[in-house]
Amino acid sequence: MEFLRAKLAGKQGTQFWRALEELLEQPQALQCLREAVPQAARLDPVLDRRSFLGLLGASLAFGGLAACSGPPPEQIVPWIRRPEGLSPSQPRFYATTLRVGDDVIGVLAATHEGRPTKLDGNPAHPASLGSTDAMTQAAILELWDPDRSQAPLRHDAIASWDEFLGQAAATARQFAQDGRGLRVLSGRIDSPTLAAQRQEFLQRYPGARWHQYEPVDDDAAQQGTAFVFGKPLCTRHRFDQAQVIVSLEADFLATMPGHVRAARDFAVKRSPTGVPPTMNRLYVMEQTLSLTGANADHRWPMRAAQIAAFVEALAAQIGVPSTRPPAADIAGGLDSAQLRRLKALAQDLQDHRGTSLVLAGAAQPPTVHALAILMNEALTNVGRTVEYFESPEPRESSTDSLRTLAESMGSGMVDTLWILDANPVYTAPVDLLFEERLAKVRNTVHVGLFRDETAARCTWHLPRAHSLESWSDLRTYDGSVSLVQPVIAPLYDVRSLHEIVAFLLGSSRADGREIVRSTWRGQGGLDEEAAWQGALREGVIRNSAPAAFEIHTEPRALPTEQRPGAQGSLDLLFQPDPTVWDGRYANNGWLQELPKPVTQLTWTNAAWVGPALAARFQLHDGDIITVRSQGRSLEAPIWIVPGQAADTLVLPLGYGRRAAGHVGERLGFDAYGLRTSASPWQAVCSIAATGRHVELATTQAHHVIQTGEPLRAGTLLQFRQNPAFMQAAEGAPASLYPERAGGEYRWGMSIDLNSCIGCSACTLACQAENNIPVVGAREVQRGRELHWIRVDRYFRGSPEMPTVHHQPVPCMHCGHAPCELVCPVGATVHDSEGLNVQVYNRCIGTRFCSNNCPYKVRRFNFLQYADTSSPTAKAQRNPDVSVRSRGVMEKCTYCIQRIEEAHIVADRQMRRIADGEVVTACQAVCPAKAITFGDTADPATAVSRQKASPRNYRMLEELNTRPQTSYLGSLRNPHPALQDET
Amino acid sequence: MSAPARTLAVELEAVTDPVTAIVLERASGRRWMLAFVASVVLTALLGSGIWVLLVRGVGIWGIEIPVAWGFAIADYVWWIGIGMAGTFISAALYLTRQSWRNSLNRYAEAMTVFAVSVSGLFPILHLGRPWFFYWLAPYPNRMALWPQWRSSLLWDFFAITAYLLVSIVYFYVGLLPDLATVRDRARSRGRQVFYGLLALGWRGEARHWQRFETLSMVLAALAVPLVFSVHSMVALDFSEGLLPGWHTTLFPPFFVAGALFSGFAVVLVLGIPLRRYYGLTDLITEAHLDKLARLLLAVGLIVDYSYLSEVFFAFYGGDRYEIAMTLNRLGGAYAWLFWSTIACNVVSIQLLWFPRVRANHAALFTISLTVVVGMWFERFMLIVTSLYRGFLPSSWGMFYPTLWDLGFLFGSIGLFCLLFLAFVRLLPAVSMFELRKSAAQALERPR
Repeated sequence: MEFLRAKLAGKQGTQFWRALEELLEQPQALQCLREAVPQAARLDPVLDRRSFLGLLGASLAFGGLAACSGPPPEQIVPWIRRPEGLSPSQPRFYATTLRVGDDVIGVLAATHEGRPTKLDGNPAHPASLGSTDAMTQAAILELWDPDRSQAPLRHDAIASWDEFLGQAAATARQFAQDGRGLRVLSGRIDSPTLAAQRQEFLQRYPGARWHQYEPVDDDAAQQGTAFVFGKPLCTRHRFDQAQVIVSLEADFLATMPGHVRAARDFAVKRSPTGVPPTMNRLYVMEQTLSLTGANADHRWPMRAAQIAAFVEALAAQIGVPSTRPPAADIAGGLDSAQLRRLKALAQDLQDHRGTSLVLAGAAQPPTVHALAILMNEALTNVGRTVEYFESPEPRESSTDSLRTLAESMGSGMVDTLWILDANPVYTAPVDLLFEERLAKVRNTVHVGLFRDETAARCTWHLPRAHSLESWSDLRTYDGSVSLVQPVIAPLYDVRSLHEIVAFLLGSSRADGREIVRSTWRGQGGLDEEAAWQGALREGVIRNSAPAAFEIHTEPRALPTEQRPGAQGSLDLLFQPDPTVWDGRYANNGWLQELPKPVTQLTWTNAAWVGPALAARFQLHDGDIITVRSQGRSLEAPIWIVPGQAADTLVLPLGYGRRAAGHVGERLGFDAYGLRTSASPWQAVCSIAATGRHVELATTQAHHVIQTGEPLRAGTLLQFRQNPAFMQAAEGAPASLYPERAGGEYRWGMSIDLNSCIGCSACTLACQAENNIPVVGAREVQRGRELHWIRVDRYFRGSPEMPTVHHQPVPCMHCGHAPCELVCPVGATVHDSEGLNVQVYNRCIGTRFCSNNCPYKVRRFNFLQYADTSSPTAKAQRNPDVSVRSRGVMEKCTYCIQRIEEAHIVADRQMRRIADGEVVTACQAVCPAKAITFGDTADPATAVSRQKASPRNYRMLEELNTRPQTSYLGSLRNPHPALQDET
Repeated sequence: MSAPARTLAVELEAVTDPVTAIVLERASGRRWMLAFVASVVLTALLGSGIWVLLVRGVGIWGIEIPVAWGFAIADYVWWIGIGMAGTFISAALYLTRQSWRNSLNRYAEAMTVFAVSVSGLFPILHLGRPWFFYWLAPYPNRMALWPQWRSSLLWDFFAITAYLLVSIVYFYVGLLPDLATVRDRARSRGRQVFYGLLALGWRGEARHWQRFETLSMVLAALAVPLVFSVHSMVALDFSEGLLPGWHTTLFPPFFVAGALFSGFAVVLVLGIPLRRYYGLTDLITEAHLDKLARLLLAVGLIVDYSYLSEVFFAFYGGDRYEIAMTLNRLGGAYAWLFWSTIACNVVSIQLLWFPRVRANHAALFTISLTVVVGMWFERFMLIVTSLYRGFLPSSWGMFYPTLWDLGFLFGSIGLFCLLFLAFVRLLPAVSMFELRKSAAQALERPR
């Protein structure tokens, strides 16, 4: 008990002498715990999992080699003769599709000897074009997560699928009449096959209902389209056609569906090409800093009510017919600075009719969405930069649907509830009392990847197969459908979602492949086996996107809305977490440790507070506050976010998980505790300081650059006047050392800061490619994270309205590397192709190289971070990259394994390595294609052309390190009339 | 009480008796026992720390990126600096025929050997993989791998090794005549054998003395340049780096001065209690303490001058990183460290200008101890203030020590004290033969 008490006490105080906690984490402490409170020790999830693993370990150990316990849907026959073209050292790629967060992304899964190890974007997939985001990269870790559910559970005891089949048959018999009392709850349906199964379900059980609930909903957008068009529609934006973009809190670069594609299209228009060079222009109005806002040319922090008022005024200015009072009255509520902005913005939009785009974010009310649609129409953008289409899958309002279900449950109308891959006990709005009402349902079945909060409260928990283990199909943001195919046989005794739904439909032997195949019989042109195979190979079903909707709009009175934000109260904004989303990725160590783009926090969430609000309450980063909203309250540490509106508090969802697995539990706070179904995104709140403080794990503090510019930036106007304006007055100093590297190639990298959006996908792709371990929150607090490429974030200007810049920093591979000079054993040396290589085996860990690295890109294994014992961790690893032990320095290698692979291929064909043949992991994943890599000795390569740009500069050039990684300076394109704002 | 006649025999006995008595006759005493037990406890702390370090890794310390060096390197530089004064007193003053050093050189040399031994632990333990420390040595191996000759760490490794070996040999050779004296006076068989073996059959023959004098001269001549090379190499460990605050040519002389400074301070810290508790006031006299205090002040002023010139050249040089680093050192998160250093190493020693302060043992002891602490602060400040704010603001970080960091610091102090306490009880703490020689010469000298 002493240990427990000490540990709890240690968690709250300021952590200066951090070794105390470290001591408590040691096995002795756990032993003490076990002796003192055996019940507590048994509940300890770590121990529980261990023992659980112990039981199931044998089947798991060789899971990766396809010796699995699940029934393989196809026959598996070992090869007697190796098929042509298949070599054990060569990865094989399969096109498949993943639903990640709110998005659907096509990927190519690399498998090494049957083990999926890495996901790359599918170039043929419209949402990907070869890139992915960070969450997609981390899906591979989810597949290999040892905490995944491995067998069906009934009342938390391991049961068999046969037992469950008996149960399912009983359910089918029970509801054979009309199905009243039978309910299904799933997430948003974006799979045509699931939609077809839903249809079949409703036909079979007419009295039953199928609800859809998605915590990160798009209800407002649906309602907005419904208002304008009379029915809910989906929207696809074309950022590659848009010259002027107005985002009303729409985070289209980071969280909106299709954001990977949006980043690519946005970056294309961002590149200052042409004579004279042109760029698109992005205006963002938002309550808090988003990644999209960070990339804006004009970013205006506003309260929720101010945004709505501004949008109404803007709509009036550009001639949207309105039934409201005249525009002058609306504009009267704006101050002079806002009127100036309004005028400039309206003019800019009018100047770009047909090439402009107005879009609104999920947290904006339906009226704002409706106004955005009407503005796009007034600006003749529809059909050019924006299109609407009807979703072939049934859509319903997420919160309404869940509310109906909860009310039925409360009144005892639900006898049997199947929850398909959703976690409503954790994610449901708090006023629906879902957990309480779930207890009234007699028979509950939960299907999911993990034994989560909902699973623990259901009669049955059925483990679902991971998307990489199952057959399905998914519709992406623009309506195209792509197929999901398994790239590995299921690791555990699991079934795919479609197979489990088939059980509900009365089938006893379900074949996932056949279910999906039958959906596509007679449509999509996939009847022919060859066409089916082609769609599988390509990853996309051609021409599957629905046609654009014909526009019929007529002016209607906008519904008046209750606007939060009365004087004296604070606006409360909920938003999905940038890495763990709505909480579903809480057990993913890679995502937990990825610095969240805006805050740079890891392993936790925090209540975001603007600088002015923090000053008013005298709060500092990590101070705990009480947030009160609608009679409920919670405690949360704060984090100061520059550029957040003064009267806004932001609560990221996704933390405070109670049952997520051993990685994701007891981190952060649960913001769902304040979220209500009446207003799931926006509410009002009040805050009070508690006087307590915690230290949060962050990788970068707030620093405003004063002098010395590691990051160079300017405006398009400056660039037009003098393209070389970013060049330093003097170049690198002279050196006594000769230019080295006499090899055939000279590898180098160019990073275009004008394209980079700061999404951190590169960090995670690098982690997946290079077997970089996760170190945990405590180690991150100490500054020991291991990421080889980090995304530096710099603010300029006032904390209230800063300009934000991002700069990815991998190893610079300096020509005159300071690290090489100081290593006493020669563990870091230069190779003939200009690479600064780290020889792990030779490294004894003096760490002088890191001290002497001006870019601080070297990472040290202070402890044994790499997990060398878990079988699944081993199976996930890239076999071409060494796993580093403790005491060894590591750093970016420019993906030397990929360079070597290209060498081998080229050597066998007796040719040089072609330009573009070596693609580093960070380069491949980058949605904005900001990273170019190649041979800088050849002036014709893409990287050489990039480096010839007048925007090219080398970081800290004055230190004479001669880096091989260089940057293209960042440009912003402010409106000429608003230049003084930036 | 009538003073005994100043005969040669009496003079010699006055040297030999009290010194051999400490080793052969006196009981340990409560104070010694208390100090010994405390040292053993601290040494055990160090031992357990080393065990944990080897099992878990250097992550038990507070080091991180960017501050990848912390207490271990500060401890190392501090200890090796302390060691320097002993060699300086015994070798440099020997070569310059400063016979007053005869009272001090033995325990000062012992201090050197122990301090250098303790310091040598740190560069090895601070490695990520300490068991491979021998890869620094240019030994023939199958892979034909050599160390990397441009790295100052490598030369530092050679410098420490050479310095430690020469110090031990010089210390031991200088002990031989006195070990023979103790052997001759020992009454128990065990002691006779123990000291007999250690004395290597020294019989005091003229031939022995002749060889002894030659060897001492040679070793002294070797040791003096080594002193300077070791501290210059330690300095180059830093100035080879391109970090602001490290990358300066001032460092080698600055480190030599700093080493002498802390070394003289420790000689005083050890000497004052030693002469008091073991009744050696006639051998280590007021005059000795006064001379040491003057030396402390003199090298202290050189160190202070270095502080000043560091700040001056940062601004004079105009490099923006140097200026930023200096401003940070003076006013940043670690400003308390800088100003503590100034208080300990600049302000406190100014008292030594006053003869009354130099004559007051308590004051002298306190000032010396302040300097020892101040020099540790200075070492730590040099390391951490340059590292925690490098060139890129995105990579700035703070260093927070762990309990193990403190454990290693105090554990190493415990180990040093343990060795020194054992030395006082086992070996003659004052060089008897040299003092006897001085006494004889003084008698022979005509009045």
